[in-house]
Amino acid sequence: MSKARRTLENRRRLTLFGLLLPPSAFLAIFFLGPLAIMIVYSWLTPGLYGGVEWKFFHLNYGRILGWADTKYERFDPVYFEIFLRSVKLAATTVLLSLILCYPVAFWVSRMPEKRKNLVIFLITLPFFISLIVRLFAWVLILRPTGFFNQALMGLGLIDEPLEIIFTGTAVVIGMVYVFVPFMFLPLYASIEKLDLSLIEASQDLGANRIQTFFRVILPMTLPGIVGGSIIVFIPSLGNFIGPSLLGGAKVVMIGNLIEQQFLSARNWPFGAALGMMVMAAVLVLLLYYIRIVTREERQADGPNVAEEVAA
Amino acid sequence: MQGILRIENASKSFQAPEGGVIRALDNVSLTVAHNEFLTLLGPSGCGKTTLLRAVSGFEDLDSGEIYIDGQPVSDQPAHKRPVNTVFQRYALFPHLTVERNVAYSLEVRGIAKAEIRERVGNMLELVGLAGMGARKIGQLSGGQQQRVALARSLVAQPKILLLDEPLSALDKNLRHKMQQELKILQHELGISFIFVTHDQEEALVMSDRIAVLNGGTIQQLDAPEELYRRPGNEFVARFIGESNLLDATVVSVEGASCDVVLTDGTVIRDCPVNGLKQGDPAKVLIRPENLVESVGQSSADERAGHEISGTVSESFFAGTDYHLVLACQGLPPVRASLRAGPGTSHHTIGEQTSLFVPHDAVHLIPERGAPA
Repeated sequence: MSKARRTLENRRRLTLFGLLLPPSAFLAIFFLGPLAIMIVYSWLTPGLYGGVEWKFFHLNYGRILGWADTKYERFDPVYFEIFLRSVKLAATTVLLSLILCYPVAFWVSRMPEKRKNLVIFLITLPFFISLIVRLFAWVLILRPTGFFNQALMGLGLIDEPLEIIFTGTAVVIGMVYVFVPFMFLPLYASIEKLDLSLIEASQDLGANRIQTFFRVILPMTLPGIVGGSIIVFIPSLGNFIGPSLLGGAKVVMIGNLIEQQFLSARNWPFGAALGMMVMAAVLVLLLYYIRIVTREERQADGPNVAEEVAA
Repeated sequence: MQGILRIENASKSFQAPEGGVIRALDNVSLTVAHNEFLTLLGPSGCGKTTLLRAVSGFEDLDSGEIYIDGQPVSDQPAHKRPVNTVFQRYALFPHLTVERNVAYSLEVRGIAKAEIRERVGNMLELVGLAGMGARKIGQLSGGQQQRVALARSLVAQPKILLLDEPLSALDKNLRHKMQQELKILQHELGISFIFVTHDQEEALVMSDRIAVLNGGTIQQLDAPEELYRRPGNEFVARFIGESNLLDATVVSVEGASCDVVLTDGTVIRDCPVNGLKQGDPAKVLIRPENLVESVGQSSADERAGHEISGTVSESFFAGTDYHLVLACQGLPPVRASLRAGPGTSHHTIGEQTSLFVPHDAVHLIPERGAPA
């Protein structure tokens, strides 16, 4: 290798290092650092007045998963139930926003280019307004004297206002509303990519609409479905603003619980352990997603390189 | 003729994006015989794909009817019609293996697994993909994908196979190979093929009959040789093969042959009359490869009335042929391809020369209506 070339190579390496250092350092300090603190704290003894004592303590997880500190309390699956309820609620949010977005994404993907862009802009428009304001608008809509109940009563459909606000239903409505764009965009991306000639080919080969949907359209848009679902599921699971505004005190979600542990109960290790539970659930989902996506990519790729070499 | 497919007075218009109406099909009638290889040939936008899609069920006709095996199919959705299509870009299912792609039409019909396996295996063997059943579509070359598309369409034993420019994505050598294979396959299976293409050479090589379409109407429907030798109008003459088209007037008719005079006063004798009468205007079609050098033709007497003279304005050697362009006073440039045999020599630009027009090399096209 010539000297000039080596210098060039070194300089390129230096540039690359210089460019990558700031973001790497940022992530290491502000992302990995707190995460490591959380992991460590979740195994430490809660301090008497907040904070932690540096002593190994497994009962943070025990309180959630089935073994409790026999000295002070009996095991009560209440935390695990809250966790499960949150999972259920997040799953409902995912399902509803999926049902809502899937047909709309098809509709939008067949629009002329100009209108398409406008619609996508409109879908992202709510992000321009603060989340709290938007959720509080839902409080005004759903409360007994709010728009929704007044309208239904005015139409004579109901006599008494429906009890929606401060129930799980209100939380789901609010969360679906907030997360619909997150579901829509990945769904739209995969539906827009869908080759219409594949649908024609399926019909041409004798498949009716239902068969075509389950055999071609659904599998082809699966990455979008899974992607959107995960992107909605993760923040829904940990969300605490939605449940605290729309669910009131009655509907405690894992997000609220964690918030309480850190801010009011001042039991940081227990809060950290709860946080780890959420993270574990999310990680499992992400691994599943990665598996589906890589499978998809392997199909989309050209001739398998390994096979070519072997042949 | 009670063919496998009968199209009667099919018409279809589209709304053009700029406003206005495009007549994609204008009163098209067509019958395809059993076991026939018919090609729909035409430039893009001529209506050939619309016609094919009307047969497969993806396009509804404004008026007219399509009969498959004697049954009207207008109210049958695509998935119920006994035809299958090989799509231009194959439209293979990327999430399924080769085997499952081919098995698709059998699976949706609920055919027993064992039978599916057997028929798919046979079909893959037929198209030369035996042992590739487990591959993913992304692992196949273009030619292999083409074969999978064929196998997938043929496995359900359609009454007609529709092919929508299936070879256009292949490179030239592979395309030639696939042309022959398709022809052989069609012959072996005894299924009627309707093949859409804009490539005239491909159409000539493969077809039993060719329907030349332009502007939504069938310009001519004939066997390839007939189409090439005796095109019915100027469009067909220009679209298929190289052509010299010269304006002429019939000066005398004698039985089945006639004499015509070209715009520069040259007389061409003994042309096939083709229904023309004295005084009729006509286009004289002379294929460049049918012209030969006058030198070497026996006597001046024999040559009289069979010659075009002019100045060589372009000349180049292309291996098997010398290509010449002859500039003649009062005529459009006349192109000639002279076989590069022992007797022929290179012509230099500016040279005066005469080309001999054998009497069976001339075809007269009656002039009627506006040229396409």
